[in-house]
Amino acid sequence: MPTPSLDTLPKGHELPPFAFELTSEWVREYVVAVEDDAIGALDEGLVPPMAVAALGVRALLDGAKLPPGAIHLGQEMSFLRPVRVGERLSISARVVSRGERQGWVLMGIELDVQGDDHGSVMKGRATLTMPAGRAGVS
Amino acid sequence: MTLDVGAELTPVVVELTQDKIDRYALAGGDGNPLHTDPEFAAKTQFGGTIAHGMLVLAYLSEMMTAAFGRAWLSGGRLKVRFKAPARPGDTVSAVGHVVRAEGGRTVCAVECRNQRGEVLVSGEAACPTGEVAT
Repeated sequence: MPTPSLDTLPKGHELPPFAFELTSEWVREYVVAVEDDAIGALDEGLVPPMAVAALGVRALLDGAKLPPGAIHLGQEMSFLRPVRVGERLSISARVVSRGERQGWVLMGIELDVQGDDHGSVMKGRATLTMPAGRAGVS
Repeated sequence: MTLDVGAELTPVVVELTQDKIDRYALAGGDGNPLHTDPEFAAKTQFGGTIAHGMLVLAYLSEMMTAAFGRAWLSGGRLKVRFKAPARPGDTVSAVGHVVRAEGGRTVCAVECRNQRGEVLVSGEAACPTGEVAT
């Protein structure tokens, strides 16, 4: 089945579950990319909380194509417990609101990231706007 | 950690480059050409590449981690609006100060600004002040 464009997803749509193992290599790559000096000062085994949030976005992009011109308007997130290198995360994302006006879609997407213990480690909500009816890009 | 109302958080200042944006695109798995393809981005309403919003938020999160330590990872909350794009060549400063204590949390007003003082991101970050999970 082709990957749908994000603007076409209805309210209530659940994106395919996405799993990701936090390897030490990936976490190192992320920490270098964001130049985070603070997390290493706490404990070398801890993962920056925004890395977990970034994986939420990755889950979204894995399940839907982003239309050209899409804009990230806002973001809410709650970090529920520290996450450590080596954990395997499971991410679910769901369209919780969708409105359309003058050719633009306004969409709210909720994210829930669960850790090895199947408990939530992060919950979040992204608000995006995007032109309706344009083919998405991967 | 407890900070008094009005206390300034230590800013995080980053010189943003296209290389850094590209590096984040690889790590974050977000290769949207708006961030990585100058030719494509030039034709959009932004007129050029812009940084991923989640990259800019990572600078805010680093500031909160430095200020509050594990408490930020164990119960931190962030609510922000993106106001303007961060572009290659910008100097992005993540700044914040404590505005109130509320329900066992220290609430901070947080922003990212560029070198011209334009607000790129603004919102609130809240962090538990009591015992935290490890």
